[in-house]
Amino acid sequence: MEKPLLKIENLHVIGDEKEILKGINFKITSGQIQALLGPNASGKSTLAQAILGNPKYKILKGRLYFLGKEITKFLPEKRAKLGIVLVWQSPPAIKGVKLSQLLEKISRRSVEIEEAKGLLEREVNLDFSGGEKKISELIQILALNPKLVIFDEIDSGLDIERLEIVSKLIKKELINKKVSVLLITHWGQILDFLKPDLTNVMLDGKIICKSDDYKKVLKVIKKYGYEKCKKCKFLAGRP
Amino acid sequence: MVTRNVKSVNFWQVDHKIKNISQIPGNVILPSPQAWQRFKWSRIYFEREPREGYFIWIKKEVDFPLAACINIASPKISQDLTNLLVIEKGIKVGANVVCSAIKNNLCGTHKAKGKLVLKNGSSLEYNHLHQWGKKDYVNPDYEFILEKNSKLIYTYKNLFPPENLLLKTTIQSNENSSSNLNFIINGLSSKIGILDKVNLLGSNSQAIVKLRLVGRKNSQIEAISIISALSPSRGHLDCRGLVVDKKAKISLTPRLICQNKNAQLTHEASIGKISEEELTYLRMRGLSEKEAIDLIVTGFLGK
Repeated sequence: MEKPLLKIENLHVIGDEKEILKGINFKITSGQIQALLGPNASGKSTLAQAILGNPKYKILKGRLYFLGKEITKFLPEKRAKLGIVLVWQSPPAIKGVKLSQLLEKISRRSVEIEEAKGLLEREVNLDFSGGEKKISELIQILALNPKLVIFDEIDSGLDIERLEIVSKLIKKELINKKVSVLLITHWGQILDFLKPDLTNVMLDGKIICKSDDYKKVLKVIKKYGYEKCKKCKFLAGRP
Repeated sequence: MVTRNVKSVNFWQVDHKIKNISQIPGNVILPSPQAWQRFKWSRIYFEREPREGYFIWIKKEVDFPLAACINIASPKISQDLTNLLVIEKGIKVGANVVCSAIKNNLCGTHKAKGKLVLKNGSSLEYNHLHQWGKKDYVNPDYEFILEKNSKLIYTYKNLFPPENLLLKTTIQSNENSSSNLNFIINGLSSKIGILDKVNLLGSNSQAIVKLRLVGRKNSQIEAISIISALSPSRGHLDCRGLVVDKKAKISLTPRLICQNKNAQLTHEASIGKISEEELTYLRMRGLSEKEAIDLIVTGFLGK
């Protein structure tokens, strides 16, 4: 069996004095595309932030490994340098700092995206539209030369045309180059464009099921809602 | 290095010695004591006989910015400068003035009393850059006299402040004159006092004052920014502070004084800390905590 790129063992995380993640077990291998579906407040974004080491979230129990090395206590910047990056759902504005300035500071390789050209001389994320934010995020993470990219709700706030543009970019710049991708999504629109190898469903801080058939998972969720997933018998491989 | 290319500047003083004066045809640049002797009219502005400093009299348009550089290079020097810049009617000019200590540990004193006179219809864009050592004491006290229809853009930038900085700036704004003032100060274990006052004396005079103050390490910054309107005029204060470290303190007082019913004065003021979300975001892009703070501060100061 292929060695996992990222492995999470029994991860319990608290945020705002409340336990949000209640024993997450997760693996992703090199070049794999996985999806993580779940309703609002199920803990999807917290998992992404915890993987990246956001100090706001405290690890109660459990361990994270990247390329076989334990990274549970690593600072966010160290994780980024190892190649774990996150595309934020709502990235904050950095006032007074142009996107080109930020890229100059963080870049480990030069990246050109046609769609980002008009954003380079603007202040990072300030008054960006939903689509502009996603492009700004994409150019930043590509400049970091990542091994694993986590997309937190990349499909939120995008119309279908924009979603297709963003999906094509992800495919061209990441998937075709064998970068691992974890797509966190509420509604799952982006999955039709990127076709994950494995789809996880998260409820109340736990990954409750996994399937290699994303269409089946989406169909069940659309038909019955997330509560049905708890009782679902035909989705394979309970963790 | 701040002193690079100083030989090409119009006025260059190191400690108490004038190193170079480069005249511009049609205009006059002198040490202030010589101007006091030579031009009797200058005494109205100097107030007292100057010991040192620059006198620049712009009578003819200059198509490049004037440059002046005043350095402290030796230990325990105490400069007592009196500067005068006079711009004649209708002339537009830019000026870049650098005052600095060339080392960090000279324990120098730099006192500068300056008067800048913008005559009818003239215009000045003045960039004032300060860079000091940790143990210096610095006290600039500048008064700008804006005659009718004149226009001033003044930017004071101090990213390497001394241990003690007392900065006083006064603007006398006459009919139809306008001023745009920017104070950009990065406090690093410094005690900083700022007092700026704009007197809107003439009708239709205007002023915008912008303060950007950063408190790092154990800086103590106290700023009072005043616009006083005596005529139908408009003024706006925009004061913002960013407290970076636990021991730093910023006190901001915007004050509007209105003595004319047709004047319009407004202000906005805020002091905040660095957003944890922004910090985490930048760290997730691979910047260390210090690099991320430096970048946020750079953006805040608009460097």
